[in-house]
Amino acid sequence: MKPPPFEYYRPGSLDEAVQLMARYGPDAKILAGGQSLLPMLAMRQARPKHLVDLQRVGELAGIRSADGRLRIGAMVRQREIERDSSVPPLVRCAVRHIGNFEVRNRGTVGGSLSYLDPAAEWPAVALAMEAVIVTASQRGRREIAARDFGLGPHTTALAADEVLVEVLLPAGNAGFGFAEVTRRGVGDFAVAGAVCHGAAVAVFGVGQRPQRLPGVEALVSAGQPADGLAEAAASEIDTTSEYRRRVAAALVVRVLTEAAGRR
Amino acid sequence: MTSEAELTVTVNGARWSGTVPARLTLCDFLRSMLRLTGTHAGCEQGVCGACTVLLNGAAVRSCLMLAVQAEGADVTTVEGMGRPGQLTRLQDAFLRHRAFQCGFCTSGFLAAAEEILRSGERYTRDELRALLLGHVCRCTGYEPIVEAVYQCQG
Repeated sequence: MKPPPFEYYRPGSLDEAVQLMARYGPDAKILAGGQSLLPMLAMRQARPKHLVDLQRVGELAGIRSADGRLRIGAMVRQREIERDSSVPPLVRCAVRHIGNFEVRNRGTVGGSLSYLDPAAEWPAVALAMEAVIVTASQRGRREIAARDFGLGPHTTALAADEVLVEVLLPAGNAGFGFAEVTRRGVGDFAVAGAVCHGAAVAVFGVGQRPQRLPGVEALVSAGQPADGLAEAAASEIDTTSEYRRRVAAALVVRVLTEAAGRR
Repeated sequence: MTSEAELTVTVNGARWSGTVPARLTLCDFLRSMLRLTGTHAGCEQGVCGACTVLLNGAAVRSCLMLAVQAEGADVTTVEGMGRPGQLTRLQDAFLRHRAFQCGFCTSGFLAAAEEILRSGERYTRDELRALLLGHVCRCTGYEPIVEAVYQCQG
Protein backbone atom coordinates (compact mmCIF):
# COMPACT_ATOMS: atom_id res chain seq x y z
CA MET A 1 0.00 0.00 0.00
CA LYS A 2 2.83 2.42 -0.81
CA PRO A 3 3.17 4.30 -4.11
CA PRO A 4 5.85 2.85 -6.41
CA PRO A 5 8.93 4.99 -7.20
CA PHE A 6 8.62 7.75 -9.81
CA GLU A 7 10.41 10.87 -10.91
CA TYR A 8 8.61 13.91 -9.51
CA TYR A 9 8.19 17.32 -11.13
CA ARG A 10 6.56 20.44 -9.72
CA PRO A 11 6.25 22.89 -12.64
CA GLY A 12 5.65 26.54 -11.72
CA SER A 13 3.82 27.51 -14.91
CA LEU A 14 1.58 26.00 -17.58
CA ASP A 15 4.41 26.38 -20.14
CA GLU A 16 6.67 24.30 -17.95
CA ALA A 17 3.96 21.68 -17.37
CA VAL A 18 3.27 21.43 -21.09
CA GLN A 19 7.00 21.01 -21.82
CA LEU A 20 7.21 18.18 -19.29
CA MET A 21 4.20 16.45 -20.83
CA ALA A 22 5.69 16.84 -24.32
CA ARG A 23 8.84 15.11 -23.09
CA TYR A 24 7.35 12.41 -20.83
CA GLY A 25 3.64 12.26 -21.77
CA PRO A 26 3.22 8.55 -22.55
CA ASP A 27 5.13 7.55 -19.37
CA ALA A 28 3.77 10.34 -17.19
CA LYS A 29 0.74 10.91 -15.01
CA ILE A 30 -0.55 14.28 -13.98
CA LEU A 31 -1.15 14.76 -10.26
CA ALA A 32 -4.02 17.17 -9.57
CA GLY A 33 -5.81 16.62 -6.24
CA GLY A 34 -4.69 12.99 -6.06
CA GLN A 35 -7.94 11.61 -4.65
CA SER A 36 -8.16 8.95 -7.37
CA LEU A 37 -4.51 8.73 -8.42
CA LEU A 38 -3.08 8.17 -4.92
CA PRO A 39 -5.24 5.06 -4.28
CA MET A 40 -4.24 3.80 -7.74
CA LEU A 41 -0.58 4.34 -6.92
CA ALA A 42 -0.98 2.70 -3.50
CA MET A 43 -2.62 -0.34 -5.06
CA ARG A 44 -0.04 -0.30 -7.88
CA GLN A 45 -2.78 -0.04 -10.49
CA ALA A 46 -0.79 2.87 -11.91
CA ARG A 47 3.01 2.83 -12.19
CA PRO A 48 3.96 6.05 -13.96
CA LYS A 49 7.66 6.71 -14.55
CA HIS A 50 7.06 10.43 -14.16
CA LEU A 51 4.61 12.34 -12.00
CA VAL A 52 3.82 15.96 -12.89
CA ASP A 53 2.27 17.81 -9.94
CA LEU A 54 0.16 20.78 -11.12
CA GLN A 55 -0.29 22.31 -7.66
CA ARG A 56 1.95 25.32 -8.39
CA VAL A 57 0.60 26.08 -11.86
CA GLY A 58 -1.16 29.39 -11.22
CA GLU A 59 -2.91 29.44 -14.63
CA LEU A 60 -5.04 26.47 -13.55
CA ALA A 61 -6.51 28.17 -10.47
CA GLY A 62 -9.57 30.34 -10.02
CA ILE A 63 -13.19 30.71 -11.09
CA ARG A 64 -14.18 33.67 -13.27
CA SER A 65 -16.63 34.87 -15.86
CA ALA A 66 -15.39 35.55 -19.37
CA ASP A 67 -17.30 36.14 -22.64
CA GLY A 68 -20.64 35.16 -21.12
CA ARG A 69 -19.25 31.86 -19.85
CA LEU A 70 -17.99 30.70 -16.48
CA ARG A 71 -14.43 29.45 -16.50
CA ILE A 72 -13.34 27.02 -13.79
CA GLY A 73 -9.61 26.32 -13.69
CA ALA A 74 -8.63 22.65 -13.76
CA MET A 75 -6.98 22.78 -10.32
CA VAL A 76 -9.96 24.35 -8.55
CA ARG A 77 -10.95 22.09 -5.65
CA GLN A 78 -14.50 20.73 -5.41
CA ARG A 79 -14.91 22.47 -2.04
CA GLU A 80 -14.18 25.87 -3.59
CA ILE A 81 -16.72 25.16 -6.35
CA GLU A 82 -19.52 24.14 -3.97
CA ARG A 83 -18.99 27.32 -1.93
CA ASP A 84 -18.77 29.82 -4.83
CA SER A 85 -22.07 31.60 -5.47
CA SER A 86 -21.05 32.49 -9.05
CA VAL A 87 -21.10 28.77 -9.93
CA PRO A 88 -24.41 27.55 -11.46
CA PRO A 89 -26.68 25.88 -8.86
CA LEU A 90 -26.68 22.57 -10.79
CA VAL A 91 -22.90 22.32 -10.49
CA ARG A 92 -22.89 23.22 -6.79
CA CYS A 93 -25.63 20.65 -6.16
CA ALA A 94 -23.83 17.90 -8.11
CA VAL A 95 -20.41 18.59 -6.59
CA ARG A 96 -21.81 18.07 -3.08
CA HIS A 97 -22.39 14.42 -4.05
CA ILE A 98 -18.68 13.84 -4.72
CA GLY A 99 -16.92 11.69 -2.13
CA ASN A 100 -16.97 13.17 1.36
CA PHE A 101 -15.95 16.67 2.42
CA GLU A 102 -12.37 15.59 3.06
CA VAL A 103 -12.07 14.25 -0.49
CA ARG A 104 -13.70 17.44 -1.83
CA ASN A 105 -11.12 19.49 0.10
CA ARG A 106 -8.47 18.04 -2.25
CA GLY A 107 -10.23 16.76 -5.38
CA THR A 108 -10.28 19.00 -8.45
CA VAL A 109 -12.60 19.50 -11.42
CA GLY A 110 -9.78 18.76 -13.88
CA GLY A 111 -8.94 15.55 -12.08
CA SER A 112 -12.53 14.38 -12.00
CA LEU A 113 -13.06 15.11 -15.71
CA SER A 114 -9.86 13.47 -16.87
CA TYR A 115 -10.29 10.41 -14.62
CA LEU A 116 -13.70 9.92 -16.28
CA ASP A 117 -15.18 7.41 -13.89
CA PRO A 118 -18.47 6.30 -15.53
CA ALA A 119 -20.22 6.86 -12.17
CA ALA A 120 -18.71 10.31 -11.54
CA GLU A 121 -20.74 13.50 -11.30
CA TRP A 122 -18.57 15.98 -13.22
CA PRO A 123 -18.46 14.21 -16.61
CA ALA A 124 -22.27 13.88 -16.59
CA VAL A 125 -22.80 17.51 -15.56
CA ALA A 126 -20.36 18.69 -18.25
CA LEU A 127 -22.25 16.62 -20.84
CA ALA A 128 -25.68 17.93 -19.83
CA MET A 129 -24.46 21.55 -19.71
CA GLU A 130 -22.63 21.23 -23.04
CA ALA A 131 -19.47 22.39 -21.34
CA VAL A 132 -16.25 22.97 -23.24
CA ILE A 133 -12.99 21.49 -22.00
CA VAL A 134 -9.87 23.50 -22.79
CA THR A 135 -6.53 21.75 -23.09
CA ALA A 136 -2.98 22.88 -23.75
CA SER A 137 0.04 21.18 -25.25
CA GLN A 138 3.14 22.34 -27.09
CA ARG A 139 1.05 21.94 -30.23
CA GLY A 140 -1.30 24.65 -28.99
CA ARG A 141 -4.64 25.07 -27.26
CA ARG A 142 -7.70 22.98 -28.03
CA GLU A 143 -11.36 23.27 -27.09
CA ILE A 144 -13.15 19.94 -26.77
CA ALA A 145 -16.94 19.73 -26.49
CA ALA A 146 -17.97 17.60 -23.50
CA ARG A 147 -19.80 15.18 -25.84
CA ASP A 148 -16.47 14.45 -27.59
CA PHE A 149 -14.42 14.32 -24.39
CA GLY A 150 -15.54 11.16 -22.61
CA LEU A 151 -14.74 8.11 -24.74
CA GLY A 152 -15.22 5.25 -22.26
CA PRO A 153 -14.37 4.17 -18.72
CA HIS A 154 -11.31 6.18 -17.60
CA THR A 155 -10.72 7.13 -21.24
CA THR A 156 -10.90 10.66 -22.63
CA ALA A 157 -10.00 12.61 -25.75
CA LEU A 158 -6.97 14.06 -23.91
CA ALA A 159 -3.76 13.26 -25.79
CA ALA A 160 -0.76 11.97 -23.85
CA ASP A 161 1.00 15.34 -24.05
CA GLU A 162 -2.03 17.48 -23.15
CA VAL A 163 -2.85 19.25 -19.91
CA LEU A 164 -6.48 20.00 -19.03
CA VAL A 165 -6.56 23.77 -18.43
CA GLU A 166 -10.14 24.71 -17.64
CA VAL A 167 -13.78 23.90 -18.16
CA LEU A 168 -16.12 26.50 -19.68
CA LEU A 169 -19.75 26.45 -18.59
CA PRO A 170 -22.66 28.37 -20.11
CA ALA A 171 -23.84 31.31 -18.01
CA GLY A 172 -27.47 31.76 -17.06
CA ASN A 173 -29.78 29.74 -14.89
CA ALA A 174 -31.59 27.02 -16.80
CA GLY A 175 -34.02 24.81 -14.89
CA PHE A 176 -32.09 21.89 -13.50
CA GLY A 177 -32.37 18.63 -11.62
CA PHE A 178 -29.79 16.26 -10.19
CA ALA A 179 -30.28 12.88 -8.50
CA GLU A 180 -28.27 9.77 -7.85
CA VAL A 181 -28.75 6.49 -6.01
CA THR A 182 -25.89 5.02 -4.00
CA ARG A 183 -25.51 1.89 -1.92
CA ARG A 184 -24.70 3.68 1.30
CA GLY A 185 -25.77 7.29 1.48
CA VAL A 186 -24.25 10.53 0.22
CA GLY A 187 -20.62 10.19 -0.82
CA ASP A 188 -20.64 6.66 -2.14
CA PHE A 189 -20.21 5.88 -5.84
CA ALA A 190 -23.46 6.20 -7.78
CA VAL A 191 -25.23 3.02 -8.87
CA ALA A 192 -27.06 5.32 -11.27
CA GLY A 193 -27.67 9.03 -11.61
CA ALA A 194 -29.45 11.58 -13.77
CA VAL A 195 -28.88 15.23 -14.62
CA CYS A 196 -31.19 17.70 -16.30
CA HIS A 197 -30.14 21.16 -17.46
CA GLY A 198 -32.64 23.16 -19.50
CA ALA A 199 -33.75 20.79 -22.27
CA ALA A 200 -30.76 18.46 -21.86
CA VAL A 201 -30.97 15.14 -20.01
CA ALA A 202 -28.05 12.83 -19.18
CA VAL A 203 -27.61 9.67 -17.13
CA PHE A 204 -24.47 8.28 -15.53
CA GLY A 205 -23.30 5.21 -13.64
CA VAL A 206 -25.20 2.98 -16.05
CA GLY A 207 -22.84 2.42 -18.96
CA GLN A 208 -19.33 2.97 -20.28
CA ARG A 209 -19.62 6.75 -19.96
CA PRO A 210 -22.35 9.32 -19.25
CA GLN A 211 -25.07 9.42 -21.92
CA ARG A 212 -27.40 12.11 -23.24
CA LEU A 213 -30.96 10.96 -23.95
CA PRO A 214 -32.00 12.83 -27.13
CA GLY A 215 -35.25 10.87 -27.46
CA VAL A 216 -36.38 11.90 -23.98
CA GLU A 217 -35.21 15.46 -24.63
CA ALA A 218 -37.40 15.62 -27.76
CA LEU A 219 -40.45 14.39 -25.82
CA VAL A 220 -39.85 16.99 -23.11
CA SER A 221 -39.50 19.75 -25.68
CA ALA A 222 -42.76 18.56 -27.29
CA GLY A 223 -44.47 19.17 -23.96
CA GLN A 224 -44.81 15.62 -22.62
CA PRO A 225 -45.16 15.60 -18.83
CA ALA A 226 -42.20 14.13 -16.95
CA ASP A 227 -44.10 11.39 -15.14
CA GLY A 228 -44.89 9.60 -18.41
CA LEU A 229 -41.28 9.42 -19.59
CA ALA A 230 -39.87 6.51 -17.58
CA GLU A 231 -40.53 4.00 -20.40
CA ALA A 232 -38.95 6.22 -23.04
CA ALA A 233 -35.90 6.77 -20.83
CA ALA A 234 -35.56 3.05 -20.04
CA SER A 235 -35.64 2.08 -23.71
CA GLU A 236 -33.05 4.71 -24.62
CA ILE A 237 -30.45 4.05 -21.89
CA ASP A 238 -27.49 1.99 -23.12
CA THR A 239 -26.60 -0.46 -20.36
CA THR A 240 -26.14 -4.16 -19.72
CA SER A 241 -27.75 -3.93 -16.26
CA GLU A 242 -31.53 -4.05 -16.12
CA TYR A 243 -31.50 -2.85 -12.52
CA ARG A 244 -29.41 0.23 -13.35
CA ARG A 245 -31.67 0.90 -16.35
CA ARG A 246 -34.77 0.97 -14.14
CA VAL A 247 -33.12 3.09 -11.46
CA ALA A 248 -31.74 5.58 -14.00
CA ALA A 249 -35.11 5.85 -15.78
CA ALA A 250 -36.83 6.61 -12.47
CA LEU A 251 -34.17 9.24 -11.74
CA VAL A 252 -34.74 10.84 -15.16
CA VAL A 253 -38.39 11.34 -14.21
CA ARG A 254 -37.30 12.74 -10.86
CA VAL A 255 -34.82 15.29 -12.27
CA LEU A 256 -37.26 16.40 -14.99
CA THR A 257 -39.92 16.97 -12.33
CA GLU A 258 -37.41 18.92 -10.23
CA ALA A 259 -36.38 20.99 -13.23
CA ALA A 260 -40.01 21.75 -14.16
CA GLY A 261 -40.52 23.09 -10.64
CA ARG A 262 -37.52 25.40 -11.01
CA ARG A 263 -38.36 26.92 -14.41
CA MET B 1 17.50 13.25 -8.88
CA THR B 2 13.83 13.97 -8.92
CA SER B 3 12.75 10.89 -6.99
CA GLU B 4 13.38 13.08 -3.94
CA ALA B 5 12.15 16.62 -3.41
CA GLU B 6 12.62 19.55 -1.09
CA LEU B 7 9.85 20.08 1.44
CA THR B 8 9.18 22.91 3.86
CA VAL B 9 6.10 22.39 6.00
CA THR B 10 4.81 23.57 9.37
CA VAL B 11 3.54 20.75 11.58
CA ASN B 12 1.80 21.60 14.86
CA GLY B 13 3.44 25.03 14.78
CA ALA B 14 6.98 23.79 14.16
CA ARG B 15 8.64 24.41 10.82
CA TRP B 16 10.34 21.45 9.13
CA SER B 17 12.61 21.69 6.12
CA GLY B 18 14.41 18.89 4.35
CA THR B 19 14.46 16.35 1.57
CA VAL B 20 11.86 13.61 1.32
CA PRO B 21 11.28 10.74 -1.11
CA ALA B 22 8.73 12.00 -3.65
CA ARG B 23 6.65 8.85 -3.22
CA LEU B 24 6.35 9.24 0.56
CA THR B 25 2.76 9.94 1.59
CA LEU B 26 2.03 12.73 4.05
CA CYS B 27 0.82 10.04 6.46
CA ASP B 28 4.14 8.15 6.35
CA PHE B 29 6.09 11.41 6.54
CA LEU B 30 4.28 12.35 9.76
CA ARG B 31 4.64 8.88 11.27
CA SER B 32 8.10 7.76 10.24
CA MET B 33 10.06 10.97 9.72
CA LEU B 34 8.49 13.17 12.40
CA ARG B 35 7.56 10.27 14.71
CA LEU B 36 4.07 11.73 15.11
CA THR B 37 2.37 8.35 15.39
CA GLY B 38 -0.96 9.74 16.59
CA THR B 39 -1.91 9.87 12.90
CA HIS B 40 -2.89 6.30 12.12
CA ALA B 41 -2.31 4.48 8.83
CA GLY B 42 -5.36 2.32 8.27
CA CYS B 43 -6.39 1.31 4.77
CA GLU B 44 -3.87 3.60 3.00
CA GLN B 45 -6.28 4.01 0.10
CA GLY B 46 -8.54 6.78 1.31
CA VAL B 47 -11.43 4.72 2.58
CA CYS B 48 -11.18 4.45 6.38
CA GLY B 49 -10.43 8.06 7.38
CA ALA B 50 -8.07 7.09 10.22
CA CYS B 51 -5.18 9.17 8.81
CA THR B 52 -7.19 12.41 8.52
CA VAL B 53 -5.27 15.55 9.55
CA LEU B 54 -5.87 19.28 9.16
CA LEU B 55 -4.10 20.94 6.21
CA ASN B 56 -4.42 24.72 6.46
CA GLY B 57 -7.50 24.08 8.61
CA ALA B 58 -9.15 21.69 6.13
CA ALA B 59 -9.54 18.01 6.97
CA VAL B 60 -7.72 15.82 4.44
CA ARG B 61 -6.69 12.20 4.22
CA SER B 62 -2.93 12.15 4.76
CA CYS B 63 -2.63 8.83 2.89
CA LEU B 64 -4.10 10.47 -0.23
CA MET B 65 -1.43 13.15 -0.35
CA LEU B 66 2.24 13.00 -1.08
CA ALA B 67 4.28 14.73 1.58
CA VAL B 68 5.66 17.03 -1.15
CA GLN B 69 2.12 18.26 -1.85
CA ALA B 70 2.10 19.76 1.65
CA GLU B 71 4.85 22.19 0.56
CA GLY B 72 4.29 25.51 2.36
CA ALA B 73 1.26 24.20 4.25
CA ASP B 74 0.32 24.23 7.91
CA VAL B 75 -0.48 20.73 9.16
CA THR B 76 -2.17 19.93 12.47
CA THR B 77 -2.16 16.38 13.80
CA VAL B 78 -3.73 15.06 16.99
CA GLU B 79 -0.44 15.85 18.77
CA GLY B 80 -1.15 19.54 18.05
CA MET B 81 -4.70 19.52 19.40
CA GLY B 82 -4.43 19.05 23.15
CA ARG B 83 -2.48 17.15 25.76
CA PRO B 84 -3.28 15.12 28.89
CA GLY B 85 -4.77 17.49 31.44
CA GLN B 86 -5.35 20.13 28.75
CA LEU B 87 -7.75 18.42 26.39
CA THR B 88 -9.58 20.42 23.76
CA ARG B 89 -13.31 20.85 24.23
CA LEU B 90 -13.87 18.23 21.52
CA GLN B 91 -11.45 15.73 23.05
CA ASP B 92 -13.11 16.20 26.42
CA ALA B 93 -16.51 15.55 24.82
CA PHE B 94 -15.14 12.35 23.20
CA LEU B 95 -14.02 11.23 26.66
CA ARG B 96 -17.30 12.09 28.40
CA HIS B 97 -19.44 10.44 25.73
CA ARG B 98 -17.23 7.31 25.48
CA ALA B 99 -16.69 8.11 21.80
CA PHE B 100 -13.79 5.69 21.47
CA GLN B 101 -12.68 2.31 22.69
CA CYS B 102 -9.56 1.12 20.87
CA GLY B 103 -8.79 4.65 19.67
CA PHE B 104 -7.53 3.74 16.22
CA CYS B 105 -10.06 5.93 14.38
CA THR B 106 -10.12 8.73 16.98
CA SER B 107 -7.47 11.13 15.66
CA GLY B 108 -9.10 11.03 12.22
CA PHE B 109 -12.54 11.74 13.67
CA LEU B 110 -11.10 14.60 15.74
CA ALA B 111 -9.55 16.25 12.67
CA ALA B 112 -12.79 15.97 10.70
CA ALA B 113 -14.86 17.23 13.62
CA GLU B 114 -12.49 20.19 14.16
CA GLU B 115 -13.21 21.43 10.64
CA ILE B 116 -16.94 20.79 11.04
CA LEU B 117 -17.07 22.74 14.33
CA ARG B 118 -14.97 25.64 13.04
CA SER B 119 -17.51 26.21 10.25
CA GLY B 120 -19.82 27.64 12.91
CA GLU B 121 -22.82 25.84 11.39
CA ARG B 122 -25.24 23.99 13.66
CA TYR B 123 -25.88 20.55 12.22
CA THR B 124 -28.49 18.01 13.22
CA ARG B 125 -27.32 14.58 14.37
CA ASP B 126 -28.33 13.15 10.98
CA GLU B 127 -26.34 15.82 9.15
CA LEU B 128 -23.30 15.09 11.32
CA ARG B 129 -23.70 11.38 10.63
CA ALA B 130 -23.64 12.14 6.87
CA LEU B 131 -20.63 14.47 7.22
CA LEU B 132 -18.66 11.82 9.13
CA LEU B 133 -19.46 9.11 6.60
CA GLY B 134 -15.83 9.00 5.47
CA HIS B 135 -14.67 7.53 8.78
CA VAL B 136 -14.84 3.92 9.91
CA CYS B 137 -15.14 2.99 13.60
CA ARG B 138 -15.34 -0.68 14.50
CA CYS B 139 -15.95 -0.20 18.26
CA THR B 140 -18.52 2.42 19.12
CA GLY B 141 -21.33 2.08 16.61
CA TYR B 142 -20.83 5.82 15.88
CA GLU B 143 -23.63 7.09 18.14
CA PRO B 144 -21.31 8.35 20.93
CA ILE B 145 -19.06 10.03 18.33
CA VAL B 146 -21.98 11.84 16.71
CA GLU B 147 -23.25 12.86 20.16
CA ALA B 148 -19.83 14.21 21.23
CA VAL B 149 -19.57 16.39 18.11
CA TYR B 150 -23.22 17.45 18.38
CA GLN B 151 -22.76 18.61 21.98
CA CYS B 152 -19.71 20.70 21.03
CA GLN B 153 -21.62 22.84 18.53
CA GLY B 154 -22.52 26.48 19.19
